[in-house]
Amino acid sequence: MSVQQDKHNVSLEWIKDQLNGFADLIDRTLVAPFGQIDLLYIKSVADGQILSRNVITPFYEMENINAYHNYILTYPGTEEETTREKAIELLLSGYILLGLNDTFCFFDAMNREISGVNETSAESISQGPSDALTEDIAINLNMIRRRYQSTNLKMETMVIGDVSKTKVAILYDISRVDPNVLAELREKMNTLKVDILQAMGELEKFLSSDSLRILPKSIVTERPDRVVFNLSEGKVAIMLDTTGYAIVLPSIFNDFFTSMDDKIQLPIVGRFLKLLRIIGVCMTLWLPAIYVTLTAYNPEIIRVQVALLISGSRATVPYPSFVEVLLMLMMMEFLTEASLRLPKAIGPTATTVGGLILGQAATAAGLVGNIMIILVSAVAISNFLIPLNMMSLSIRVLKYIFLFAAAFLGLVGVVVCVVGFAMYLCNQRSFGQPYFRLFFLDNLGKKKGGEH
Amino acid sequence: MAKSRYFYCLFLMNSLINIINYVPRELIDRRFAGALMSVLIGTIFGTLFVYIFTVLIAKFPGKGFPEIFYSLLPKKLAKTLLLLFAGLWCVAGGVTLLSFVDITLRFISPDSSPYTVVISFLVLVCICCRFDSLSILYGLEIILSVTLPLIIYGLVKALANPDFNWDSVLQVTTYFWHKPDLMSLSAATFSFSGYLNLAIFNRVFHGLKLKHVWILGVEGLSVLLLTFLVPIGYFGTVAIDRHVYTWFSTADSIRMENFIIERMLFIFYFAYLSLSLVSVIVLWHGGLELLKGAISSVKKQSPKAERWKEWSILGLFSAMVLSLMGLDQYELNMFGAWFLQIRWFGEMFIIALLFYCYRKVRRGSL
Repeated sequence: MSVQQDKHNVSLEWIKDQLNGFADLIDRTLVAPFGQIDLLYIKSVADGQILSRNVITPFYEMENINAYHNYILTYPGTEEETTREKAIELLLSGYILLGLNDTFCFFDAMNREISGVNETSAESISQGPSDALTEDIAINLNMIRRRYQSTNLKMETMVIGDVSKTKVAILYDISRVDPNVLAELREKMNTLKVDILQAMGELEKFLSSDSLRILPKSIVTERPDRVVFNLSEGKVAIMLDTTGYAIVLPSIFNDFFTSMDDKIQLPIVGRFLKLLRIIGVCMTLWLPAIYVTLTAYNPEIIRVQVALLISGSRATVPYPSFVEVLLMLMMMEFLTEASLRLPKAIGPTATTVGGLILGQAATAAGLVGNIMIILVSAVAISNFLIPLNMMSLSIRVLKYIFLFAAAFLGLVGVVVCVVGFAMYLCNQRSFGQPYFRLFFLDNLGKKKGGEH
Repeated sequence: MAKSRYFYCLFLMNSLINIINYVPRELIDRRFAGALMSVLIGTIFGTLFVYIFTVLIAKFPGKGFPEIFYSLLPKKLAKTLLLLFAGLWCVAGGVTLLSFVDITLRFISPDSSPYTVVISFLVLVCICCRFDSLSILYGLEIILSVTLPLIIYGLVKALANPDFNWDSVLQVTTYFWHKPDLMSLSAATFSFSGYLNLAIFNRVFHGLKLKHVWILGVEGLSVLLLTFLVPIGYFGTVAIDRHVYTWFSTADSIRMENFIIERMLFIFYFAYLSLSLVSVIVLWHGGLELLKGAISSVKKQSPKAERWKEWSILGLFSAMVLSLMGLDQYELNMFGAWFLQIRWFGEMFIIALLFYCYRKVRRGSL
């Protein structure tokens, strides 16, 4: 046999050689009156119960080796002919190598340590389904298929990550998806080169190459109903094994302000909630900048009473309003971050200490104005109105740009920045689709790359 | 591809912008000498120009001026024409910027340095006008949808004011039967020249079909009349002479009772500054593309060389604006007036040229 051919042939010795140093590698030979089989598997990833129930017990109940071989082949997960690389891959993922006579087959005995279906934690809503995606791709696909029972729902799978070998599934509705998006996505996925892929966010980052971007172009969600809703709108969902999230793309600016609640509520109520979110975003983005403009540059814009009120509350503050705003915003960011990292038991304490005592004391000491405290809490609260975490973080960062513009240029700076921001949004494309437009509903769902 | 509604956006933008851009000044200067007649005649001319131009350019779907000229005119001539037009577009944007710098200093922040203001405008405009045409149209639509309600609110508020002096307005209308003069005609037609942006933006329109051109005429006429008559209603037929930026002075005379913001001026300033910035972006995008067309070489250039070219063109434009910063208000006004006239003749010339190109295509295809 030539070396070339030998490369593709699986031999027990070669596999054992490759797996040398695995303390949990089990290599057994079972002997029965009619013959013997070799068992090779990795204990930590293979399920012992499946092994003994489906592989070992039948072996001793059979009459000859061929019947046993046929029996093994009836299992849906069993694989027979493979290459060397594939063989190692299968063993590492929990398959059992069965050596029968001179042939090999791989028996699926994967041991899945997974958490069951939990409730959503990051995107909770008051009414409606509360199941979240799990860390197992099979269960996730089951959840999607159950909600989307159509032959048009197609799925492609691939493996990404040289070391982690993460299973990735791409789902789309073939009758609604934009083929250009799909082609671009496939091209990007195929050129992807990473060692470890563990989180949805990483994949999202690899997919959009622009390192300077500040706005997310694809939704990372943990809600199966959101995935299904987006699939029905002609979007593509990517699922990753071992993460409890899915990516939905292409996503436009408006998608990040849609909560799954909006569909459940009465139409007018849904619109109202959406309006609230838009106002919230405007407030969290521009309130600090407007405050700086009004106190430092153009107090004549507002009513005299309000202007006097603000400057009265700032009477004891020893530095310009820009420093004041920046200081308090920073304190607020620290608080948010701290309460996120702290164990759940201490979290509320941190918020109380920070929010209540610090805020009170800071005004009493005259370091910041009273109105400033109200403003900062308004900014913080309105920021949390955004249903998707990635967008909410982006907005949190963006407000500083407006703040700096206001500090250096006053009203002119704010207006210039607002126009620039609008133009920037309009210039963005998410997989070829315009990211931000006025009539974003123009051709939703039925889009086929035609007119915008 | 863009829908036809973006054309209306371009038109609306230009007609609204004319409120700040020397047009009311020129009209009001001739309020006893045929301004009203000019407005009427200008409306007819303007609508006619819009109609002819859009019909002609629709014969070249997806093509901008550079593509049309290079395929139908001698190469040298095409280059010269594009260069001239690029200059016109650049000045159009520059004039708006300069007047807004002046307005900012006069009404909003008298303390800040004019150069800080103009440089912040220039940075924004230069970054944004390199975007692709479709994005700019989307942006224009967004900004219009925000500013238009504010502007309409301002206009309604202005007209509903009990102190608005209708007698002055009526008095001015008695001077209707005067023969129109060139200056006010070219000022009046400026309200309609938004269609010229199609010179470049036609690249994203495929088969532009306008349904109701008369709406454009009515809109242009009403904006012109408001531009011209509302300041007169506020300041009187004679005292209006003393105001340079008549509309900003008018807006500053309006008080809003029910808001945290009391003075209309700031609403008006916000709306008009954002609209003007977008209009400068639109104009300079046109200028940039025209100039790029004028100096384009046959061989394909690398993206890096392309970027250098764009930035040097924009540098040139910015240098033009900065060099004009030295002008005082009177000279700026003269400059604006000259620009308005030259632009009008340019418009006629462009339409004639386009007609010639169209004839040539027709003859070629027969």
